Amino acid sequence: MSAISVIPERCTGCQSCEMVCSLSHEGSCSPSLSRIRMKKWEEISVFMPIVCQHCEKPPCVDICPTGARKRAPGTETVITDEKRCVGCKSCLYACPYSAPALHPVTKRAMACDLCNGQPLCTQVCTAGSLSYAPEGDLSTEKRRAFAQTLLHSMRSR
Amino acid sequence: MIKAWTGKRLRIDLSLQKAWTEDIPAGDLRQWFGGRGLNASFFSQHFSSPVSSSSPENPIAFAVGPLTGTLAPCSGWTSIATFSPLLDSPRYGYTRMPGHFGASLKGAGFDQCILQGKADRPVYLWIDNGKVRFEDAHPLWGRETTETTVAIQEEKGDRSIEVLCIGPAGEQRFPFANVIHRLSWTGDRLGLGYLFGVKQVKAIAIRGKKPVTLHDPRRFLSLCLALKGRIQKDRKMQRLKETGTLSPLGLEGGEMINNGNGRVLPGSEKQWAASLGTYLSGQESCFSCPVHCGRNIQHEETYLGGIHLEKAWHLGPKIGVYDGEWTLKLHRLCQAQGLDPFLTSSLLAKIMEGVEDGPLSEKDLRETDHILEQGEKASALLHRIVRGSKNGFHLFVPTLSENNDLDVLADIISFCMIVVNRLNLVTVSNIIELINAATGHTLSVEDLRDTVWNILQMEACLQNKGLHLSHKPAPPLMGEDQMKEIVKKEERNNESIIHQTTS
Repeated sequence: MSAISVIPERCTGCQSCEMVCSLSHEGSCSPSLSRIRMKKWEEISVFMPIVCQHCEKPPCVDICPTGARKRAPGTETVITDEKRCVGCKSCLYACPYSAPALHPVTKRAMACDLCNGQPLCTQVCTAGSLSYAPEGDLSTEKRRAFAQTLLHSMRSR
Repeated sequence: MIKAWTGKRLRIDLSLQKAWTEDIPAGDLRQWFGGRGLNASFFSQHFSSPVSSSSPENPIAFAVGPLTGTLAPCSGWTSIATFSPLLDSPRYGYTRMPGHFGASLKGAGFDQCILQGKADRPVYLWIDNGKVRFEDAHPLWGRETTETTVAIQEEKGDRSIEVLCIGPAGEQRFPFANVIHRLSWTGDRLGLGYLFGVKQVKAIAIRGKKPVTLHDPRRFLSLCLALKGRIQKDRKMQRLKETGTLSPLGLEGGEMINNGNGRVLPGSEKQWAASLGTYLSGQESCFSCPVHCGRNIQHEETYLGGIHLEKAWHLGPKIGVYDGEWTLKLHRLCQAQGLDPFLTSSLLAKIMEGVEDGPLSEKDLRETDHILEQGEKASALLHRIVRGSKNGFHLFVPTLSENNDLDVLADIISFCMIVVNRLNLVTVSNIIELINAATGHTLSVEDLRDTVWNILQMEACLQNKGLHLSHKPAPPLMGEDQMKEIVKKEERNNESIIHQTTS
């Protein structure tokens, strides 16, 4: 099980991820055509990329009335079957992140498809906010980071 | 329509409260490439002589380049031009502003935006994907820049809106006021805050999400990825990324301090940078930039926005302030009030040097005599200026530093000149390839050189000789020397394309 992991503290709000996503998927550059969305609160310097996490129990798949949101055969990636999608927006509301978005032209749901296993957004994210690794590596890294913080605070006492 | 351009110019008349769009002829786009060129050509087409900076006719022009709003690295700059109020007689002036404003303007469907007229009440402009509304700015009048930005975003219920606004200093028409967006990026050295104040425009808020189409998306994508990869690996860039724009400190050498009357004491600038460094937290970056050179400031639990070396330097050692904390306080005051750090710095330096120049009374000056700490004194004086009178400023306007035509070239296509010229990470051939993939327009180095020449000539005419371009164009301001320099730089970067076309 793998997805794009996001470390919001590192995001600088450059929107390169949105640009590369829209360019590679749609052939033109626009935040509204991107599968990943950067949300910002500039007065406190918080930038947060939001992207599909390809959940273990995806609510978007459960709720989709036409069966358009589904797992791609043979993989763990959750995708949208554009032929079946009717643009009812159920997946947008069911998703805890509201990660899927409505395509401004086709009016079908669009969400991260992991670029066939090599997500471009993680390649252009020079701030280190986005990374892509199998689930096992991700949780180990996070656990280690947390343990280090804990160790640091214990030592400084 | 040429790809990568929108081909539209947004005209706004504040007196009539009307907005309309004009087509920019494809020939103009091909000839001037973008930002700075489009602005200069607009001014030379529409004005036969300069108009008073405070008159309603005086336009404020914003323009972007063909690669703005795309994945092209470091393409987040905006060119701004107007008849500046900072000179004795109105004269054409231009500046550049980093950040996200240009990308939003392009996303809203415009390559250029011209602001003319004078509103009869405070307004802010709301540009929503091509539609323009004049909104009441009474509730925002008098509020600081951060509050204004947040208030507009909250009113529109969308935090992705980019807001360019003035602070109380601009409303009071201080000639050294500026415009600011995202709390960090400013349009300086042009008196823009004053002009917004005169026109009674508190802010321009843009929501721009229209797609920027490209001639050859696949090739453009691979060029951008290669370029980003190269920039990311570069060592100079890594240093810039780690320490922010403070990293070239000490390398620049011979920076003048104390209003130009002394040179920096060896070691003291390091001490200043170190004390400033303790307040740095996190990074910020311009649109689509892989460098992230902006550093954020956290002071006593409060987030104070981004800081950049040049500005900090002008509010630090340049005026004899070696305490990083005071530099931050001055920076904060400038940011909140919407004051141009460069002009404020020269004004403060002059006053603190003991040259009375009008803005403060004898009494005001006497009251700060006992303060020994230079930073505290600067802060006290600035507070008095902001609260007090606005007459009698005589400002020394520091000019934009331009090393050579690479800076101009970067400016034309709205690229970052730190990356293009100082670090040489984006070469002329990269730019040509990117423009080719984006617009489908095949360029040569000669074309670019001619454009740079023509724009410099046009600007020289606008600035010095009235505005007539009908006479024979002046001899090129730049000779072969500069071109050779470009070629040399290209060779250093092992790029062969330039060499082939010039030889």
